[in-house]
Amino acid sequence: MPSWAEFQPYIVTGLALGGLYALSGVGLVVLYRATGVLNLAFGAVGAMGAFIAYSLIQAGDPGWVAWITCIVFGGVVTLGYGMVFGPALAGRGPLVQSISTLGLALVLFGVIDLAWPTTGGQSPSISFPTDNGGFSVGQLQVNWTQVIALALGVAITVGTAAFLRFSKLGTAMRAMANDREITATLGVPIRRVEAAAWLGCGLLAGIAGIMLADLSALDDTTLTFTVVISSLAAALIGQLRSIPVTFAAAIVIGLVHDLITPITQISNYQDMTPFVLAAIALLVMSRGQVLSRSREEG
Amino acid sequence: MNRPFHGRTRTAAAVVAAVALGVLAGCSSSSSTTSASTATSAPASSSAASSPSSSSSASTVSTSSCGTKPGVAATGTPINIGAINTKQPGTDFSDIENMAGAYFACVNANGGINGHPIKFFPETEQTNPSQIAALAKQLVTTDHVVGMMGNSSIIECSVDAAYWKSVGIDVLGAGIDPECYSTPNTASVNMGPRYSSDGAVQYVLAQGASKIAFDQSNVPGTAYIAAGPNAVAKAKGVSIQDFTENVPITSANAIATKLVTAAGPSGAVVLNFTPPEALLILQAAQKLNLEDRVKYWACSTPCNTDFLATSLGPKWNGKLFVNAELTPLDGNTSATAQLFDAILKQYGSDVSGGVGSFSEMGFTIAEIGTHALESITGPYTIASVSAALEGVSNYNTGMLCQGYTYGSYSEHIPNNMDYTVTPDNGKFVEASTGGGCTLISASDPQIAAYRAIAGTAPMAS
Repeated sequence: MPSWAEFQPYIVTGLALGGLYALSGVGLVVLYRATGVLNLAFGAVGAMGAFIAYSLIQAGDPGWVAWITCIVFGGVVTLGYGMVFGPALAGRGPLVQSISTLGLALVLFGVIDLAWPTTGGQSPSISFPTDNGGFSVGQLQVNWTQVIALALGVAITVGTAAFLRFSKLGTAMRAMANDREITATLGVPIRRVEAAAWLGCGLLAGIAGIMLADLSALDDTTLTFTVVISSLAAALIGQLRSIPVTFAAAIVIGLVHDLITPITQISNYQDMTPFVLAAIALLVMSRGQVLSRSREEG
Repeated sequence: MNRPFHGRTRTAAAVVAAVALGVLAGCSSSSSTTSASTATSAPASSSAASSPSSSSSASTVSTSSCGTKPGVAATGTPINIGAINTKQPGTDFSDIENMAGAYFACVNANGGINGHPIKFFPETEQTNPSQIAALAKQLVTTDHVVGMMGNSSIIECSVDAAYWKSVGIDVLGAGIDPECYSTPNTASVNMGPRYSSDGAVQYVLAQGASKIAFDQSNVPGTAYIAAGPNAVAKAKGVSIQDFTENVPITSANAIATKLVTAAGPSGAVVLNFTPPEALLILQAAQKLNLEDRVKYWACSTPCNTDFLATSLGPKWNGKLFVNAELTPLDGNTSATAQLFDAILKQYGSDVSGGVGSFSEMGFTIAEIGTHALESITGPYTIASVSAALEGVSNYNTGMLCQGYTYGSYSEHIPNNMDYTVTPDNGKFVEASTGGGCTLISASDPQIAAYRAIAGTAPMAS
């Protein structure tokens, strides 16, 4: 078993990843609460935005233009999808609505493979200026990108929670989550609220995509699937409802995933982390439901 | 009718989410498998970035020198030669057969093989064993090939080794899986992942590394590859720790940290990955300022591609050392390098990666193959072509450290002497200390076994 000192560096990398999983998970939860759709294309949208950013940087555009383009791309594509397919699928069940976003994910995945082929062993990558700066905590090296990743996770979580609680639009979203039909009869512009949720989710996908392209890899498979798996697991643990629990679960998933790294006996299984944690959480939560139902029936 | 999203609906959504996790994981893992296979076994990567040739500006060698009758097109009965390369998303070795095809086109335009043109049948596969087996049979029974020159595939050697033996075809290719080196009917111009990793470990040991952290992708066959570097390190009394990573790599920062911690300040990290995965780890180390926390970084051959040197920047000059199985072409003004440039320019429009290890391998295979075919005096049959290949002995390719010998051996590791290169402002150049031709250590039992039956080939001269 590695010593405590050997685990320490992975706290930093795990927290950074956890922060990004958190903002992704929050994006998924907000969209689900407002529209009832689990956006499985979250990772693919961010991935394509990151590849576009990479191409812009390669073409000589300033980094900030590329980063903003990635975020805007995420917002526009997700909003466009929501506006075109959202109304048509609104009457269908959650299975149909969610699987249709998987369709979008696979289309984008294919487009990335076509537009940015990996011939010749070339490897695209994105770096931020913040990669080169940072500070030390004892033996630990922390760079600013990692700090920004965690800070974004915290800020998005706090900001979203406050937005849902205190803003008019947020209140409308919460109302829709509770009862969509009654909310509509009260005169809430449902389509506009849904559009805001799609846009917000897309912008977060863009942010997650560009940040993970730096912190993890500019790789379509990694960005399309890994992000969604980890953030979906966090959202599941938050029962697709609780933003604070989703945040905490995402941080734990990021931390556990990276803290397993020095334990060589199990490090090759670290990709199972989101599954295992989500399964444990669901089992524990369903056990509580069974007990309470038993009591009610008794 | 719109419904509130709680109660039964949320339960349904949770089920969807759980199923989606599985579906996405399935997509993810299948993708990983593909990349993984690539990672273990990829020969040197081509360098798409390095289009400028090493010596074209000062070229004095024209393509007319690739045949015996300059400027005279061959018109005789064609000699059918086949090749099978992996070509799929993320894994494209087809520059090897494309460059071999360019060389053969040059030969055909300059007299051919004693007046006979080479008719080349380059095929591609997608790591599907039944497809690969069918391609081999198609080439022999339908296309009537009499030789296989230019093979490079993740699994072709293991799939077809028995078939080639049964029909008597000797294959000349760029090997990847173990059967490319351990069967009687296949010989490669490259060293493959195991012996290239041996070379990388051997180099950092020679420079004084006191501990090795050896990392590669987590795929079947990694134990076979790791056995070589482990034997080399242990023979020197240096401890070595093996790691494997699931690919595509999703947590490069953690991996870089782990490797640096394992190697320690006087140790070395040695990587055996495809260029994209190796670059992820190296860039992560750079982002975390870890590059100077170990004495050396080293890589097996796939890292030897200019785009990797360009992506890493000058911090890695003289810090990263990469095993090179073929001669470095940057700044190379030899006649062979000039002929390579001339053929690539005139006939190599299909060589998408330009100058690089893949195209070098294709050139070298075709060069040796042409030499063998030219030695045949009777009809061109499977038997005569295989006999001619087996007769190739100490042939100076101009691309390899040693003279190339095919021979009639039960196993073939004809390239077992290598170079070491290091980044130099966006290019890879021969390392100034100990970077020249060096024999791979016979501490690797496979190398020792090969030398026991084939001897040690001398330096090319």
